[in-house]
Amino acid sequence: MNKIVAMAAKDIHILFRDKLGFFFTIFFPLMMAIFFGAMFAGLSRGPASIPIALVDADRTAGSARFVGRLETAGGLAIERIPGDQALEQVRRGQTAVLVTLRPGFGAALDNPFVATPEVEMSVDPTQFAAAGMVRGVLLEAAGAELQEFMSDPSRMSVTNEQNRRLIEEFSPASEARDDLLNVLDQIPRIPVLIDEAGLGSVTTGATGGFGPPLEIEQTQVQAQRRGPTNSYATSFAQAMLWTLIGGSVSFSMSIAIERSRGTLMRLLVAPITARQLLAAKGLACLGATLFTSSALITLGITVFDVTPTSYPLLALALLCGSICFCGIMMVLSVIGRTEQAAAGVGWGIALPFTMLGGGMVPLFLMPEWMQTLGNISPMKWTLMAYEGAIWRGFTLSEMLLPCAVLVAIGVVAFSIGATRLRWDTG
Amino acid sequence: MLVFDHVSKCFGDLRAVDDLSFELEAGEVFGLLGPNGAGKTTAINMAVGLLEPDEGVVRFADEAFDRNPREAENRRSLGLAPQSIALYEQISGADNLRFFGRLHGLRGSDLEERVAACLDFADLTDVRKKVVSKYSGGMQRRLNLAVAIIHDPELVLLDEPTVGVDPQSRNAIFERVEQLRDAGKQVVYTTHYMEEAQRLCDRVAIIDRGRLMALDTVPALIAAHGGPGNLVVRTGDGESRHETTDPLATLADLQARQTVDHFQYLPPDLETVFLNLTGRALRD
Ligand SMILES: Nc1ncnc2c1ncn2[C@@H]1O[C@H](COP(=O)(O)OP(=O)(O)OP(=O)(O)O)[C@@H](O)[C@H]1O
Ligand SMILES: [Mg+2]
Repeated sequence: MNKIVAMAAKDIHILFRDKLGFFFTIFFPLMMAIFFGAMFAGLSRGPASIPIALVDADRTAGSARFVGRLETAGGLAIERIPGDQALEQVRRGQTAVLVTLRPGFGAALDNPFVATPEVEMSVDPTQFAAAGMVRGVLLEAAGAELQEFMSDPSRMSVTNEQNRRLIEEFSPASEARDDLLNVLDQIPRIPVLIDEAGLGSVTTGATGGFGPPLEIEQTQVQAQRRGPTNSYATSFAQAMLWTLIGGSVSFSMSIAIERSRGTLMRLLVAPITARQLLAAKGLACLGATLFTSSALITLGITVFDVTPTSYPLLALALLCGSICFCGIMMVLSVIGRTEQAAAGVGWGIALPFTMLGGGMVPLFLMPEWMQTLGNISPMKWTLMAYEGAIWRGFTLSEMLLPCAVLVAIGVVAFSIGATRLRWDTG
Repeated sequence: MLVFDHVSKCFGDLRAVDDLSFELEAGEVFGLLGPNGAGKTTAINMAVGLLEPDEGVVRFADEAFDRNPREAENRRSLGLAPQSIALYEQISGADNLRFFGRLHGLRGSDLEERVAACLDFADLTDVRKKVVSKYSGGMQRRLNLAVAIIHDPELVLLDEPTVGVDPQSRNAIFERVEQLRDAGKQVVYTTHYMEEAQRLCDRVAIIDRGRLMALDTVPALIAAHGGPGNLVVRTGDGESRHETTDPLATLADLQARQTVDHFQYLPPDLETVFLNLTGRALRD
């Protein structure tokens, strides 16, 4: 028992000795706690609004009433834009979902016996979780509309009159026609009868024998291309991001390893300058991350039928992503001087940033300040560049922003790291 | 030629090297002899430009001008075998040599020639393709030394090159050092084993707590600081020790008085020199 205690005490002692490593065993979970805490705190107040674009192709009083209802319902940040631009906005990743109220929407809303209101949802393929929530809000609003309609005999009477005229006009006299008209007469009485039968409380919210109050047709937005959409296109972009993160963390560890194995001393004694040493590390990191990310997407293209919308832009995105993460690598190697510390620092920084960048948790679930913070996440810009070239169909000018941000982060981080890196051997 | 000119280096309050001066001479093996913590590695690190002296200067004095080892170009003609083994364990011995050879600007057939020569020097030709992590401790030591001379440097610094090797491998390393001297290299050799310094070094600097206590050839050091030797004799009365500078006369004297069954003469050595200089044993 003594021996076991002694061994355990030794391990704990060593853990505490590596101060930075230890810091991260605390700091990292703390980051997670803060992250999820803030996120759930946000959620309990209702999630931050999901940005959606809305196109009202119906333009009737009914559709306008529905939009008003959506606006007051909360949960959605609605932007009204012309149809063609709206779709572009989703493709560029600026808006999670585009909701289009189809022509006839208002009429169907005011006459649920005859038609179901139809909407189209065009969804960013990386934002399915957001799409699910939007769907919920839409259905709820439509349900409320229907319920309101059902509990308002005067509105039903108006509709009934319209329907009666329609039937009389178009249907030749027959027994079926007479039955239909009879049934129609009874409908406005339904709410009254429900009340009289003492079922008022039981059926609150019931919409009778109607189907879903809203018909939603959902499509994924990808750049124009032949063939079906491919979910691997989105998952490979994410995988490529992870290989960059992994690569930069291992390279930052490699400097720590050279230090602990003594080979750094040999390098420093060789007739090369610190600048050359740095250039070599940067080049190696660039080469390795370029190779792994290219290998991944090549696999995606050849085996999983991912078809990038532009190969030159893909090459650009790959290069800029790698440049960015080589800079980050340099900063990581300054902070983590031992292998454990380098790994701890690397993952301890990478994970929160990836989360903030939307790489793991849907952005709309995060409170606004986190989403703003996400804008400084290199992961966000890397994903944007990769997706832009693979399936968002970015043009060169659309690609310039993420690429410029990535290169800027890379260059700044590399120079900070390079000037701060202490080339001592102890 | 390496020159230390009143060099000091502090770590906090500790003066690891304190006012150290010496000048290497052509074609010699120069020993830095001192106990653990004497400041040997610190001195070596300043010689190769890894550390900057707090006071004084380290330089390579050419006929023409002085060169500072802190500048990359000036490190071209020196080779270091660090005290702790510094190799890439995941690649083979030959690949380690090739890599460091390239860092020193070797290419093509020149490089391959040097790699082969160094493998031969370290007696590792048979295992050249094995990864270093599979080498024995002695093999790693020899490779650690071979990497230091891959670029055929003029000045080779060996920091305790025999630490942790068995007597046989140790002898092999001595032979390598002698080979280097015969090839006309200057060698700086640090050790805390006085036998090594005595056997290998043309001149020895004895340092203790960062300070240079004495510097000369081994015989001169012993003559100056060794004091008398010891004659140990065994007679019917048991064993006795007699300090003497003339053991033959002392032995004759003793034999005249009683029968000497057995005798042994212990001449003064660097151990006694160190003891006399510092009042402490080299190894306690
Ligand atoms: N980077 C450092 N920071 C603080 N103190 C140091 C550092 N390097 C060496 N020292 C101290 O300086 C003194 C001299 O160390 P040095 O390594 O030069 O001795 P050494 O003669 O090589 O000993 P050994 O035979 O054990 O290798 C020691 O007391 C050591 O603790
Ligand atoms: Mg030492």
